[in-house]
Amino acid sequence: MQRRSAARLSPLLLLLLLLLPLAWGAGPWPPRADRELQVSSRLAGQAARVALHYLNYRLGSPSALRALGQVRKATVKPIPGIGHKYYLQFTTEDYKSSQNVGTCLATVLYLKRKPRPAVNINCTYTKDQKQTREDDYSFYKKLRQQTKPITGNDTPDSYGHIEPALEPAWALAVAGSSYLMWEKSTENLGYFMAQVKNVKQWITKDDSIDFDYLVILHEIPTQEMISCHLRVIWTPGHPLKVKYFCLSENQRSESGEGSGTESGSTNGIFNEEEANF
Amino acid sequence: MLLKVILQLLVLIRDVQEQLDKVRRKPSLPLSELVTQHYLGMTYENRPMYYLKISQPSNKAKKIIWMDCGLHAREWISPAFCQWFMKEILQNYKTDPKIKSFLQNLDVYILPVLNIDGYIYSWTTERLWRKSRSALINSTCFGTDLNRNFNGSWGSIGVSHNCSSLTFCGTGPESEPETKAVARFIEKRKSDVLCFLTVHSYGQYILTPQQNHAPCQRKGLRLHELYKNSGSWWDWAHMIGIPFFYTFELRDKGAYGFILPPDQIQPTCEETTSAVMTITEYVNQKYFPNSAVAVTSGSLWL
Repeated sequence: MQRRSAARLSPLLLLLLLLLPLAWGAGPWPPRADRELQVSSRLAGQAARVALHYLNYRLGSPSALRALGQVRKATVKPIPGIGHKYYLQFTTEDYKSSQNVGTCLATVLYLKRKPRPAVNINCTYTKDQKQTREDDYSFYKKLRQQTKPITGNDTPDSYGHIEPALEPAWALAVAGSSYLMWEKSTENLGYFMAQVKNVKQWITKDDSIDFDYLVILHEIPTQEMISCHLRVIWTPGHPLKVKYFCLSENQRSESGEGSGTESGSTNGIFNEEEANF
Repeated sequence: MLLKVILQLLVLIRDVQEQLDKVRRKPSLPLSELVTQHYLGMTYENRPMYYLKISQPSNKAKKIIWMDCGLHAREWISPAFCQWFMKEILQNYKTDPKIKSFLQNLDVYILPVLNIDGYIYSWTTERLWRKSRSALINSTCFGTDLNRNFNGSWGSIGVSHNCSSLTFCGTGPESEPETKAVARFIEKRKSDVLCFLTVHSYGQYILTPQQNHAPCQRKGLRLHELYKNSGSWWDWAHMIGIPFFYTFELRDKGAYGFILPPDQIQPTCEETTSAVMTITEYVNQKYFPNSAVAVTSGSLWL
């Protein structure tokens, strides 16, 4: 991000400068040029998580879910009349094991008009791609072989335990919730999936895996727990299909549907040595 | 399932009570020289609140390190940590030179569960409960966020005045008996309290105001800025002039969140103990420079 060199002050520019203090109150910070954020700032972490929600949803791979490691660099650029665009560099961890699995570069544009942030994200991935594909396929096979539909409550349970038989379903809930959390996230509201309250599998006649969930999202900074019904349809190697319906304390309801055709971009996953990044 | 949970909770309460009773029993146990239990007040549901005072008997007037856990009911790793930390001190106070050194000058006050009613409710009824259990509006609405109820810029930002909200700040500053009990206690001793630690989850970072970076920066701990909220322990501690105050957010970073698996309890407690020891040693060195043992450097990652 290059700093623009100082221009000769025209009368119009002078007027705009005088009006800046009025604009100050309008948003979380003054609409100036690009601003570097502290890597520990809440907004940087939040934006990085939004980018990862998008990635986890688009990849639709329960074995390759990623969580935020550390933010390494963050800048925000106000785009007048449109919104705020974040430029981020951050490390990622495997969702379950917390092992470092690579670095991402992402942009997250929070739009004033549309509810959903626009994300572009490119990542390195240090886990063996072939292995994750195989892990996904073995999840898939196990679920396809069910004659009796999988059902469950409270995953993880109160003590943080996930039944091994419910692990694939839980991982798919994370992937499906990622779509929902991406949609709901704003510059000031962030989400984590706290618990799967209820899961029910639908046995399908086609190749897909079909689950109905009730998930609980943890909303920051309000601390509220939001209940959402989630329907996730998965075929490995295909975009995840997600439908959701959320109800909150004040009876506001929101719903949405995703099928992998939303705008945004990711390079998918590719293996590259960390040093070359 | 509910019966199983109730039984487990009863066992837990019985175990904690047994430990406390051991401490109270008379002098043949060496630990009774060091740690004593004191009454603080009553919760909304009329449960007694006790803090533990770890104090090396001496003629010297000591300063105070305060630590509380379990302010938010669902953050179970927090009370677990207070118990672990107590165990660490009590097991090692005779052999660890750093503990021996700071106990010459500092008393450590530990409140293992601040929000007892809420904590029990999270075991028996609703795992993700956060607030206290005070009843409002003809018992149709329950709980105040105790970390919004303190008398530091109470009710201004990052709070809700709606009882059903999880950040409900209460009907007024210190409206809750738990908050009042702790605040009154600290207020009476504020000239002696050097450091104030409050333990939460999750997120895996330490919150500190800008001017207090010194000990943590030296050790490379991750410092963090969080959302603004008023009426927190923090605002209040700052307001009454306590020099060092930190909010700990323990593991994890969001994958399990409040529902941390058992295999993460020990590593969380170990790394957090390192952090608390670092802060305590720093405070000891700063305020009692002649008696402190030199702080060894090492890298800490929280």
